[in-house]
Amino acid sequence: MTKPRVAFFDFASCEGCQIEFTNHGDAVILELLNHLDIVEFREAMTETTNEPIDIAFIEGSFTRESDRVRLQAIRSRAKTVIAYGACAVTGGINALKNHQDDFAEEVYGEAAYMPHLRSGTARPISAAIKVDHEVRGCPVSKEELLLVISNLLHGTTYAVPTFPVCAQCKRRETVCRYEEGDHCMGQVARAGCGAPCPADGIPCEACRGFVDDANLGALEKVLVERAGFSQRRAVAKSRMFTANLRS
Amino acid sequence: MGAYFIGAHELLGWVDGLRESTRIIGPVAKRQRFVFAELESAAQLRLDYDVTILPPKKVFFPPKQQILAFDSERVSDCIDPVPTVLLGVHFYDVKGLDMTDFLMRERYEDWNYLAQREATTIVASSVQSVAPRAFWGSIGAHVRPQGHDAMLTKVSEGYVLETRTPKGERLAGLERFRHATDDEVAGAERVNAAVMDQCSQLMPYDSKEIATKVRESFGNEELWDDLAMDCFSCGSCNIVCPTCYCFDVRDSWNVDQTSGQRTRYWDACLTREFAAVTMAGGQKENFREHHASRFRHRFMRKAAYLHDKLGGPACTGCGRCAAACTANIADPVRVINTIMGVTL
Amino acid sequence: MTKDEAGFDNIFLPREAKIIRTSRPTPSEKHFTLQLADRTSLDFVPGQILEVGVMGYGESPIGIASSPTRTDSFDIVVRTVGRVTTAINSRDVGDSLWIRGPLGHGFDMDELRGHDVLIVAGGIGLCPTRSLIQYILDRRDEFGRFTLFYGARDPLQLLFTEDRLEWRRSDAIDYHETVDRADATWTGNVGVIPTLFHKTAHISPDTRVVICGPPVMFKYVLIELDKLGIPRENIFVDLERRMKCGVGKCGHCQINDKYCCIDGPVFTFAKIWELEEAI
Repeated sequence: MTKPRVAFFDFASCEGCQIEFTNHGDAVILELLNHLDIVEFREAMTETTNEPIDIAFIEGSFTRESDRVRLQAIRSRAKTVIAYGACAVTGGINALKNHQDDFAEEVYGEAAYMPHLRSGTARPISAAIKVDHEVRGCPVSKEELLLVISNLLHGTTYAVPTFPVCAQCKRRETVCRYEEGDHCMGQVARAGCGAPCPADGIPCEACRGFVDDANLGALEKVLVERAGFSQRRAVAKSRMFTANLRS
Repeated sequence: MGAYFIGAHELLGWVDGLRESTRIIGPVAKRQRFVFAELESAAQLRLDYDVTILPPKKVFFPPKQQILAFDSERVSDCIDPVPTVLLGVHFYDVKGLDMTDFLMRERYEDWNYLAQREATTIVASSVQSVAPRAFWGSIGAHVRPQGHDAMLTKVSEGYVLETRTPKGERLAGLERFRHATDDEVAGAERVNAAVMDQCSQLMPYDSKEIATKVRESFGNEELWDDLAMDCFSCGSCNIVCPTCYCFDVRDSWNVDQTSGQRTRYWDACLTREFAAVTMAGGQKENFREHHASRFRHRFMRKAAYLHDKLGGPACTGCGRCAAACTANIADPVRVINTIMGVTL
Repeated sequence: MTKDEAGFDNIFLPREAKIIRTSRPTPSEKHFTLQLADRTSLDFVPGQILEVGVMGYGESPIGIASSPTRTDSFDIVVRTVGRVTTAINSRDVGDSLWIRGPLGHGFDMDELRGHDVLIVAGGIGLCPTRSLIQYILDRRDEFGRFTLFYGARDPLQLLFTEDRLEWRRSDAIDYHETVDRADATWTGNVGVIPTLFHKTAHISPDTRVVICGPPVMFKYVLIELDKLGIPRENIFVDLERRMKCGVGKCGHCQINDKYCCIDGPVFTFAKIWELEEAI
C-alpha cells in the first residue's frame, strides 16, 4: 500500500498544534513515517509541495479573503481536509475579537495600523471550505492525534468523545477546582483531552467547545453561586473559546 | 478468626514489613482530599481520611482497563492479577465492593475484575473522620459489610485487628501483634458502633419503602424535570459511585498500526449518548434522550431496580456523588427525601 | 465462554470465524456465511445474538440469521450504519471476523412448538427471524399453521431473494410481503405491514406471534393483534438496544431494570408491557 501524502498548513494561529505533533519525539514520529509520507510541514522540514495530497491538516482560523483563496487551493488538491485545533474548528480565541472593537491598540500599541495586522472576522475554516474531520483543542491532544491518524490509516474515523471534561477529571481523581474555591467549565466542555488542565490546578476553559445540549443556565448559576462570579462575568466567561458559538 | 492488638507506634512498621513482600494500596492525601494509591512508604498512609475521591473499586476495575491485546495474528487477554493488600477501606466501601463482587459474578463471571479481587487481601478500617456529605448511618444500615479479610479499629493507644478469613489471619502472623484482650475487642466494637450516629445527613426511611415509592414515581415527569433541572449530564455522580459498574469499550491501534488493544473505560449513564444507538442512515435513536430521563434512571437503578437483587439499596451512603456534583443536585439525601415527601 | 491461557473464563475473548461466503442483498447490507476457525459448530437458539467484531474497530451486536438446524456454518446479515459495521462489511471471503456468543435469551422454542406461528418482520428485522423461519421449516411437523409477514421500505430493500422465492412457492409457509413505496417493477402489495393482516383470514387467537422490526412498527402491529384477541403472553418481541458487552455488565442496553442483552433481546410482550422504556 502506498503511504498517504500528508501536509500541514497554517492560518491565523500560534502553530502550537503543529508543535504538539512534533512533541511526540523521534521514536513515535519515525515509526509514523513508515505509514505516512509527510510532504509539507514547516515546523519540521523545509520542503513544500504543489502536488495533490491525501490528508491536509489545517491549523488556524480564516480571517481574510486571501485566506479563502489559499484554503480553496488546498481543498482542491487534498482528498481529506482536517480542521486541526481550536482556531480552525471554531475560530478559537481569535474569535474573541469578533465581539470587540478596541483590541488593536490595546494589543499592538503604535503598530496597530500596520497593514499585515489588518484582518477581518475570525471564522472556522469550514466557513470557507468543506471540512472532513475536526481535531479539537487548544492545543490538540497529541495522544488523541495518534488515534485520529491511525483511524484515517485504517479507513475509518476516530469516534470523538461526546461527554464533558468532568467525567475525565473524576476518572483520574483530580481534586475539583470548585473544591479549591476556584471556577471551572468542565461540566459543559467537550472531553477527549484527558482533562490535563484541572489536574495541573487550572480551570477548564472549554477549548474544545461545548458538549451538545450544554446546560449553560446551570453553568452560569454555578459560576455565580459557587465560584462567586458576578452575573455579567458568569455570562462572559464561557466566551473565551466559544465566542463564535455565543451571541 | 482471631483478635489482635498493635500499638500505635508499631503500626507503620507493620505496614512497611508487609510492603517488602506485597503491593500495599491504602488511602493517601491528594491536595486537601484523599485517594487510594500504592504506598511508597507506610508514612503516606492516612487512616484518618474521611472519604477518598474514587472508591476502592478501581483496584479491581480500573477507570481504564485493557481487556484484549491483538496483532495481525492473534487476540489475547490481559488478565494479570498482582498480589495486593488493600488497606484502610471504610465499611461503606466494603459494602460497595460486596455489590460489585455480586454484580461481576452474576450470570457471566467477569474475571477481568474477579482475578484481581481474589488476589487481594482487604483490611477494612474504622472511620476516624466523617465526610460532610456522608449518610451511611441511615441508608441500608441493615446491610452488613462482608467482603473483607480483617478489620482494623483505632482504639486509644493503638489498633485492634480482627481477622475474618485465613487470608486476614496471615497478616497478623507477623511480630508486633499480641492477642487483644476482651476489653480491647469490646472497645473496638464501641468505636465502630458510636460512629454510626456521626453523619450529619439523614435518610430516615426504610430502603424497601424507598424502592417502592421511587419506582412508583417513574411517570411523574414534573417531579423528575424539577429534580434534574440543573443537571449537566456530566456523569460525575456515576464515576465516583462505588456501585456504578457501567463501561464503554473502545479499540485502538498502536503506532505500528498493526497491533493494538481493546480497552474498557468507566462510562456514565447520565451522559447524553449512553443509550444512543446509531440507526440506518447514520441518525441516532436515543432511548434516554432527555437529561431528566437519565437522571431518573440513576435513581431507579440505585433505589429500586437493584434493590431486590442486592438485598438493599445500591447505595452505600458514602456521599461522593453529592460532593462531586457542582450543581449540587445529585445528593441522594435531597432526591430521596423529596420523593418520599411528595404525593405522587 | 472462551477460556484464556491462564485458565480464566474470559467473557471478552472472541473466537475467530472465517468468512466462507458473502453476498450483497442491498447496497447497505451484506450477508455473511461464517465458520468457526476451529471447525466447531456454534450452539445456539434462534433469536440469540453474536457480538461481531473486527479488531481495532470494535464490536457490534448482530442477530444470527440462520437456524441451528443447519450446523456446518452460520449466517449474519450486517447493515452498514456506523464505523464498526462499515469495517465488518469491508471484509470478504477468506477474511476473519471475531465473534463472541451466542449471547442473550432467544426464542423460547417450547412456547412456540405445537402452535400456529405468525412472524411479523420489518426491514432488517427479517435477519434474526430468518433463524426461526428456517428452524420451523426444518421441523415443520412440530408446528401448526405458519404465517410470515415481511415488509420493507421499497423493493430494493427486500432481503433474501432466494428464500422469498422459495417461501412464495412453498405450501409449508403462508408468506405475505409488502413495501411502503413501490417502484415501476413492483406488482405486489403496497402499504405498511399492518395492512397485511387484511390479506389472510387464518390467524387464530391461539397463534404465537413474533415481532421484529423498527420500534415504530410495533405499535401498529399490536393494534391488529389486539383485534384478533391474541393475549400478550403469546406475543414475542425482539428488541434492539446498544448491546455493547452482551453479557449484562456494561449497562448500555438497559430497559428499566432489564438488560436487553441477557434478559432479551427476545421478550414476551406481557413482560415488557410494564417497562416504560421498552417501546
